[in-house]
Amino acid sequence: MTRRIKLTGLIAALLVIFLPSFTLAQEVNFGVSPAEVRINDLPPGGTAEFELTIHNKDAIAHVFTFTAFHPPEEERREGRAEFPDDSWISFSSPEIEVAANSQANVTVTVSIPQEQEWAGEDWETWLGVAAESSDLLGVKLYVRLLVSTTPAAGGKSNRGVFAGIAVAIVLLGCGVYYYFRRKAKPE
Amino acid sequence: MKVVITSIVVATILALISSLPALAQASSTITIIMTGVNQISIRLDKTQWPLGNVTSDTQYETSPPIEWCTLTVEGNSNVNTFILGDDAEWVDNPSAYKWTLSTDGTNGENVYGLRFRISGDTTRGPLGDGYVPITKTESEFWPYAGGSGSSLAPGDTKQFGLRLLTPTYFVGGRQMQTQITISAVAA
Repeated sequence: MTRRIKLTGLIAALLVIFLPSFTLAQEVNFGVSPAEVRINDLPPGGTAEFELTIHNKDAIAHVFTFTAFHPPEEERREGRAEFPDDSWISFSSPEIEVAANSQANVTVTVSIPQEQEWAGEDWETWLGVAAESSDLLGVKLYVRLLVSTTPAAGGKSNRGVFAGIAVAIVLLGCGVYYYFRRKAKPE
Repeated sequence: MKVVITSIVVATILALISSLPALAQASSTITIIMTGVNQISIRLDKTQWPLGNVTSDTQYETSPPIEWCTLTVEGNSNVNTFILGDDAEWVDNPSAYKWTLSTDGTNGENVYGLRFRISGDTTRGPLGDGYVPITKTESEFWPYAGGSGSSLAPGDTKQFGLRLLTPTYFVGGRQMQTQITISAVAA
């Protein structure tokens, strides 16, 4: 019994959880605008760019990092599907330092691959902005990014239209050719 | 020869005329709608919990237990908030030793539990005591499914506290650190 108590005492010795930090800041306070971005009619193969503004309301400078996050279905706007691939979203910089009581912009680029399978979709993903910190509590703010691509029907029917036009042109060309040839033939 | 040239010219004109609508469609406008006036922002008035030495299989609570930290909604956007925990890592060598965060607030060997309780919540959580496990999966902070609360509006506050349950066994003498992230998205 005594051995057990000693062992427990040893295990418990000098363990510190949640590293105490001696920085004066005991608060985290920042904002991001806009809170929501909608991109409509983005065609497969197309690119769209917009800016996020980070407002550092603290009395000290902070480094902010950016990530994309897939929200669960119940948190997405109605009719929105999960964004297929985070690599289609890029930030002008993975992190940015914002001075005390000031603001800075980061450019976000959304690029959709050329494949027609990405046409006619309504997606949602969240762009996370977090202040780097070693404190126990951290804050992350999400911007809703809603992306809608141009309808698929146009792209698919275009192929048929182009084929039909090509055939019609060939036929018309032949017709015109034979008409003139016949006309030019001596009686 | 004249006939052939005429035929080609006719065919080319036809091709150009017929492709005009397709060209027009390819240069359609991408619309980006940014809700520019909306800024998302939350503030925490406390970010550190320096516990000091802890013993195994013991429960620790912030002081005061459920009004330790105040979350304030700033900016001008209503928000839904979430909470996310992580493993606690050895500060000197994070890859060498850690405490795994449990999925239900309980503990085990090198497994620790974290829970939060929002002031006023008396029946929430698996034990019906208001305490909700914090896990490595982002889960609802406020509002929550099954609750009567709604999204937080600018100026709204929520007070909460934390409860830590140390592992039943851990290696002593090591300083451990973790982070809990409170996140927000426009409602």
